Amino acid sequence: MARMLTFNIFRFNPQDEGSKPKMQTFKIEETDSMTLFIALHKIREEQDPSLMFDFCCRAGICGACGMIINGRPELACHTKTKDLPKVTTLMPLPVFKLVGDLSVDTGTWFRQMYQNSESWIHTNKEFDPNAPEERMSNETANAIYDLDRCIECGCCVASCGTARMRPEFMAPAGLMRVARFMVDPRDQRDSEDFYEIIGSDEGVFGCMGLLACEDTCPKDLPLQDQLGYLRKKMGITAIKHLIPGRKG
Amino acid sequence: MSSKHLRTGHVRSFSRMDGYLDFFQMLSGIGLILFMWSHMFFVATVLLSPRLFNFVAWLFEATYMANVAGVIIAMILISHFILAARKMPFKRNEFGEITKHALLINHKDTWKWLIQVVSGMIILVMGLAHVWVVLSAEPMNIGGKELIISATSSASRVANGWLLYYMVLLLVVEVHIGIGFYRLGVKWGYISRETRPFWKRIELAVTASFIVLGVAVLYTLLKYSEVSGI
Ligand code: HEM
Ligand code: SF4
Ligand code: SF4
Ligand code: FES
Repeated sequence: MARMLTFNIFRFNPQDEGSKPKMQTFKIEETDSMTLFIALHKIREEQDPSLMFDFCCRAGICGACGMIINGRPELACHTKTKDLPKVTTLMPLPVFKLVGDLSVDTGTWFRQMYQNSESWIHTNKEFDPNAPEERMSNETANAIYDLDRCIECGCCVASCGTARMRPEFMAPAGLMRVARFMVDPRDQRDSEDFYEIIGSDEGVFGCMGLLACEDTCPKDLPLQDQLGYLRKKMGITAIKHLIPGRKG
Repeated sequence: MSSKHLRTGHVRSFSRMDGYLDFFQMLSGIGLILFMWSHMFFVATVLLSPRLFNFVAWLFEATYMANVAGVIIAMILISHFILAARKMPFKRNEFGEITKHALLINHKDTWKWLIQVVSGMIILVMGLAHVWVVLSAEPMNIGGKELIISATSSASRVANGWLLYYMVLLLVVEVHIGIGFYRLGVKWGYISRETRPFWKRIELAVTASFIVLGVAVLYTLLKYSEVSGI
């Protein structure tokens, strides 16, 4: 016997003046190896064509389908209905601007984040398109790759209580981006330079170690370890200047 | 603020202040934990004998440590509050937002922070009142020595209406400390993804043990007040 699944879904269209925020209930029959992505499509096709939600790759790569699934920010395409209880509540990610229903605009936020975190390689070396690429140890390449796996789904940002309270906070994804450039040997910035970007309460000192980001990231990025590392590194960078006799 | 152009606010001035403040917030937290642990250690001498408790009290008073330390601790406590207040949800609707958020995402460590904020506020008021009441009491003659702090005066407070007050203070302090040292380790990168489950268990064990110890002390003082008829 297939299960009857109940979905309580947040409905609100901010563009439509007549729309009032509410929760709406849908019921569908579970099918074999159904994902939440498939379930939402079925609801849209068979019950309510106005239901808004995002998806693109269906494979946990594009980061478009983040939403709050039973109180946990998650990728809808990654979530199998067999792992869900009979009744599931779906909400849009907080922090980001609501497009409608379950769809939020993460793009604008992330674009702003690239600028704030200056997420590009800073170097004054002249680029020579004919020269062979500089070599890098396998270890370094892996370390960079590990942090570069972020798919910008925004789940960590949406889970972070600090980001929710304080829109000026760079949030876990922003701090992680800076950590990625710190390990890159092609970037010539030193700790003092990075301090100018993240050495404030809007940066790493604003993080309160709630670890919601660590507990939610669907790609399992090492958020906790990187945030701790950044705080320690930036703390030491600041404190060094308090040591008497040292020029600050 | 030497350059005049900075006064306009149009030129971004660089400051290391946030780093310093965060560092001192950590130090103030560690300092208070160490103090609270020594405090528990000293009051727990009453479990062995009230005379030992009185002796420790006399040591502190004869060396003026009680007064000096009292003032210093009160100052660290207030500094810690001022430093932590940078993060507390005072502004706009911050408290409302973080509460709604905790309800939305149903995540334990996020709740823990809220508990830390609320317990901190309670400690600020109840802790300072406690220090004030204890240190401003009339000295008593205990075994030929004039003592402000003694098992007798503590027992009489516990027996005369302060029991509930101390139970509440004990609970909020121990919970605040447990969450505090766990989060300190996380924030400064000493508790890693790998060791987090272990430290969570330590957090629970330490919090529970100190609450049990504190309750034992209060119970002993209550008994002591009965046998010595105060
Ligand atoms: C017995 C006294 C106290 C002890 C042992 C203590 C200990 C600690 C520790 C170890 C931390 C973690 C430090 C950090 O995250 O940097 C902390 C954080 C905190 N404390 Fe206390 N504290 C005490 C009293 C207070 C008081 C009176 C307040 C005032 C309201 C307070 C409010 C807070 C807050 C809000 C935080 C969180 C700060 C953050 O998330 O950045 N605490 N406390
Ligand atoms: S650990 Fe820091 S960045 Fe991550 S959710 Fe908590 S406050 Fe936000
Ligand atoms: S760090 Fe993880 S949760 Fe955050 S945006 Fe990247 S992939 Fe998503
Ligand atoms: S649809 Fe691309 S990550 Fe889910």
